[in-house]
Amino acid sequence: MMMKGGNKVLARSLMTQTLEAVKRKQFKKFHAASSEEQATIERNPYTIFHQALKNCEPVIGLAPILKGGRFYQVPVPLSDRRRRFLAMKWMITECREKKHRRTLMPEKLSQELLQAFHNQGPVVKRKHDMHKMAEANRALAHYRWW
Amino acid sequence: MTGAPRQPRAEERRNDLGPKASPGGSTHRVRGRGPAMRVQGSGEEGTAATRLLRFPGSTADPSRLSRGGRRGSGLAETGERRRERRGAKAGETKGSSGRPFHFFKSVGTMLKGVTRLVSRVHKLDPGHFLRLGTQAPQSLAAHLDNQVSFESPRAISCTSENDPAKHEEKHEGQHYNLPLQDMKTIFPHGLPPRYAMQMKTFNEACLMVRKPALELLHYLKNTNFAHPAVRYVLYGEKGTGKTLSLCHIIHFCAKQDWLILHIPDAHLWVKDCRDLLQSSYNKQRFDQPLEASVWLKNFKTTNERFLNQIKIQEKYVWNKRESIEKGSSLGEVVEQGITRVRNATDAVGIVLKELKRQSSLGIFHLLVAVDGVNALWGRTTLKREDKSPIAAEELALIHNLRKMVKNDWNGGAIVMTLSQTGSLFKPRKAYLPQELLGKEGFDALDPFIPILVGNYNPKEFESCIQYYLENSWLQHEKAHTEEGKKELLFLSNGNPGQLERLCAYL
Repeated sequence: MMMKGGNKVLARSLMTQTLEAVKRKQFKKFHAASSEEQATIERNPYTIFHQALKNCEPVIGLAPILKGGRFYQVPVPLSDRRRRFLAMKWMITECREKKHRRTLMPEKLSQELLQAFHNQGPVVKRKHDMHKMAEANRALAHYRWW
Repeated sequence: MTGAPRQPRAEERRNDLGPKASPGGSTHRVRGRGPAMRVQGSGEEGTAATRLLRFPGSTADPSRLSRGGRRGSGLAETGERRRERRGAKAGETKGSSGRPFHFFKSVGTMLKGVTRLVSRVHKLDPGHFLRLGTQAPQSLAAHLDNQVSFESPRAISCTSENDPAKHEEKHEGQHYNLPLQDMKTIFPHGLPPRYAMQMKTFNEACLMVRKPALELLHYLKNTNFAHPAVRYVLYGEKGTGKTLSLCHIIHFCAKQDWLILHIPDAHLWVKDCRDLLQSSYNKQRFDQPLEASVWLKNFKTTNERFLNQIKIQEKYVWNKRESIEKGSSLGEVVEQGITRVRNATDAVGIVLKELKRQSSLGIFHLLVAVDGVNALWGRTTLKREDKSPIAAEELALIHNLRKMVKNDWNGGAIVMTLSQTGSLFKPRKAYLPQELLGKEGFDALDPFIPILVGNYNPKEFESCIQYYLENSWLQHEKAHTEEGKKELLFLSNGNPGQLERLCAYL
């Protein structure tokens, strides 16, 4: 999803720069922190990346179901890969669209990943919104036939 | 395998043969009596040690004296085998008595060989052993494994000798610490950007001591200040550490109290200049006020204490109303250049001229350090208003700098670096002086001492990895393992710049 026009080289370099940015930010925090906090600060960019995406995965999703001429948003269970896909998609769209034009992707992505790692930030908020909508439309659940 | 060069071993071996060659006895180069060897050295000595123990034929196992015998015991060094064959043949021709006689002779020579081996091992580069993380082989008794592996990383990668003047061959491959306060004064400009980032992340500045820098330091320590300034050119492929070697030299000269004229990147002066003014001093040339004023500011930070001591010896007129009298200090010229940006280029010209004139007097030693000197003789991307290109010669800064790197003054040295990275209109793979400087540049610099800066050798590579591990920069689990290190070596090919970029995201 990072790749555009088949430019894998660019996508890969953006990802590596993101990981580097995450690492440097964490190191800065590490050096500024006291020794008790230092044990809690995670510096491995890969664990941060995986954990952040896991925190962004929604548990339940919505599907538009046609009944009686109207489309209803029905809460529906999501498969594992759909969840991962949605997490990544939300993360990338968030960085592309909602940030200032001049900030670079690694900078934006690293910031979002760190926020998601701590269960804060806009992507996690979007996940919670999705959950709330599903909860609100709970009554429509029997429209689902699979 | 590439740790110690093969030549010395062969010579040592031949010397070895001479005095103690018993007739036909110990010239046999019998390979690898594995268990017998290992008894002598501790099990932890590692493969290189056992290889060395196997080396000179003196450590022949008594029970298996095969005269023509080559023990192809899996050592991949064909050179060894060839030498063995030669040695074995020599053994044959020497003639011998019966077997029991060999036996006693060889035991004696075996013991002699072991002691000689120990002394030889000391002579061999300590890096070879340090790389394997072993204790010094003075104690052949087995050590605790934990003790060995705990102590060695620090011993390999860092040294406590922080004065560049005292750096010797034995510090090669080790990092030394530069105090951050010094970094701010000596290097307000001039550090490679990735290195500056690393400095910020680790909160410390560590530089590796490498051979080219050691060589240059040796030359600088022995400079004769009565002779014209010698020109040294550091060249090499991209990312091999030319700029950081230059920084090492600058640190050394700063510690020795030289006056440092450091141009961080000459390429910045020949491209992307927003405002070009026609020079007031010479109508044909162009001024670059911004670059000149920035450089003057940094020059002032580095050389505060000299600015008041040096007095200019001529009167300079800035314009109708302002002039500088003879006898005023250089500091005033610099101030004028910083405040009046229009005159900054001329101020730079004055500074360079005065320093060149006065360095021969002996009050101070002058180090001219230029990074990317091939910019002085290359093309520029700057254009006049009528879109015609400007040659490098027509820029006042470049013109003055060319005069500075000519060796018609004495009392100092000129150290330069070639750089393809910022260069204009040069192919990416070009790194040799002839290619990057062009004919004009090469002729202008002609009698110079070229110093090649290469990729890391295995010892330096290991040291670099250990340094990163100590600062916990390599967070990936696989980076700590042996295969991980081999992968890194393969991917970066020992190139310091590439390695740094690789480790950044691991």
